[in-house]
Amino acid sequence: MGYKSALAGIAGATAIALVSTFAASAQEAPPAGTIVDGSLKGKTLTFVSYGGIYQDGQNAALKDFVDKTGVTLLNDGPTEIAKLQAQVESKNVTWDVVDTADLPPYVHCGTLFQKLDLSKIDVSHIPAGQVGECSVPAMNYGVVLMYKNDTYKDNPPKGWKDFFDTEKFPGIRAIDGSGDPIGGLIEQGVLADGGSVENMTPADIDKGIAKIKALGPDTIYWKTGAESQQLAESGEADMILMWTGRAMTAVKNGAQYTPVWQDWLVVMDQLTIPVGVKDTDAAYALINAYLGKNAQEVLTEKTSYSPINNEAQPKVDPSVAAFLTNTPERVKQGYQQNIKFWVQNFDAASEKWTALMAGN
Amino acid sequence: MSQTIDTTAPGGSGPRQANGVAAQPRRWRLAAYPSLLALPAVLLLIAAMAYPLLTIVSRSFSEPEWGLQNYVWFFSTDVNIQVLLRTFSISAWVTLVCVIAAYPYAYLMTVVGPRMRLVLILCVLVPFWVSGVVRTLAWVILLQDSGVINSVLKAIGFGGVKLIRTPTGVVIGMAQVLLPFMILPLYSVMRGIDLRLVQAARSLGARPALAFWQVYLPLSLPGVFAGAIIVFILALGFYITPALLGGPRSTMLSTLVQSQVLSLLNWGRGGAMGVVLLVSTFILLALAAPLMRQRHKQASRS
Repeated sequence: MGYKSALAGIAGATAIALVSTFAASAQEAPPAGTIVDGSLKGKTLTFVSYGGIYQDGQNAALKDFVDKTGVTLLNDGPTEIAKLQAQVESKNVTWDVVDTADLPPYVHCGTLFQKLDLSKIDVSHIPAGQVGECSVPAMNYGVVLMYKNDTYKDNPPKGWKDFFDTEKFPGIRAIDGSGDPIGGLIEQGVLADGGSVENMTPADIDKGIAKIKALGPDTIYWKTGAESQQLAESGEADMILMWTGRAMTAVKNGAQYTPVWQDWLVVMDQLTIPVGVKDTDAAYALINAYLGKNAQEVLTEKTSYSPINNEAQPKVDPSVAAFLTNTPERVKQGYQQNIKFWVQNFDAASEKWTALMAGN
Repeated sequence: MSQTIDTTAPGGSGPRQANGVAAQPRRWRLAAYPSLLALPAVLLLIAAMAYPLLTIVSRSFSEPEWGLQNYVWFFSTDVNIQVLLRTFSISAWVTLVCVIAAYPYAYLMTVVGPRMRLVLILCVLVPFWVSGVVRTLAWVILLQDSGVINSVLKAIGFGGVKLIRTPTGVVIGMAQVLLPFMILPLYSVMRGIDLRLVQAARSLGARPALAFWQVYLPLSLPGVFAGAIIVFILALGFYITPALLGGPRSTMLSTLVQSQVLSLLNWGRGGAMGVVLLVSTFILLALAAPLMRQRHKQASRS
């Protein structure tokens, strides 16, 4: 072997080494669903969510992760941002991975929630536009307009314009009054008022809320998902804003209501890691396992919420499938609120929403 | 001092004597400071009540910065004033309903035989042991537009009434939840009233209504006041029942505090709301106190 070929060999080896290093750094994030056997033995993680069948389903989705990594998974809840704030302020954070509503991770990014290091989790299968600086989605669902079959018979409402039109579509409305302002509904109020949501200003919040108030004094603001379901099952309201999961259960229980899918409001829960957790890498490992195809299939099968991994093929019965929001048709019909606007105007919107809830 | 006692003490075994001597001043000290007996309770109250309360008060003045801004905000926002007044008026209605419902019930408890009394007590206590949320949900089923009350009214030919999501519905639900707090103090006072006093009034020629009005009622007033204060104060802080049975026009202050703290993380404003409610409750009680003392004197004089 000559000198030249030896040099070429070294150059070749270097090139291969370089390429492989490069490839490794580009693919550093382990694919979603990765579980490393025995990697978290002796460690404890606390997972916080909203309880009920939802948290049970999340635990079922994480069962593989818990069994194989050897981690001890503790559950807590329900998620309350005020409690989390108290933990972060006292520098004693016991919540490692927290499931939140859709806006808080944007409002408190960097202060209560860590900015996520995307080299540690694989977000390539998450639906477009749902990964925030401090959050990945935990599941998808929707707020959907359900109308009472008996009331509207041959001329049912077809969208939010009809929802806001109390002359052509008389009847009692029921709205999600469980907490934070429903940005999507306020935007639809602005649209029904003839306005535009292209460049929303704080004045538009007043317009949208005025439109909701104009629905009349009989409007019901339900406080819990269970209450909305109860309203549907007893036929108390003619049009009800419902979470898809609750709508599905109500229909299954015999509620005579039909969903309007045009411009259903896209909502999600978020997964976050609080600032100051003791073992960030373990928290990332949990989230990455949660995002996997299998985990998401289990989650949907147990909870009927839509998976956030686009490869997931959950096996569900038709009544559940009818309310999943991740089919191509539903994705096309969905209406995404202007998250940026609502995060920037969160305090003003909350104050005005609270006033609406308190009868003003 | 212990030495003087030691020298004057009568004879006896050494250790016993020493023990007795040591115990004596200790007993003296306890007798001199009987308030020490309250120490465990006081410590508990400081840790679980005073300290958190002070934190709330101080945060209401210090967040986001030192000053009165949270109170200025409270009193310059129409919603807050309106909801504060509504909170007091709903609590007053609840108290009134409780007095009217509890008074004859408690009286009945004092006049029936022991077995019947047990049944009546159980009727009060069993719902009391059931979670407030469950009872409130039961009221939802009874009061809603398609609920039991409205179905019955419609079936017998009356029009429906709007009960749920109105202040009336909230008052009904809260009164039921709070009724035991009125019945029990009333009963304990009424049990102590000597019924022979009423008989004496009758034998002196008073008609039953007058005997009740001039003798029995004044004697039972301490129970009415005790129950009314407990019910009124508990009602001021109610959260679940108004949230589930009420609509926007029956929102109470605790719901607004909740939204300030839990969804806006505005501990300062939430604290200020709590302090306003607390202080206005104190003012109201201070106004009611002389009235109560006077009535009480009247009752004991007769």
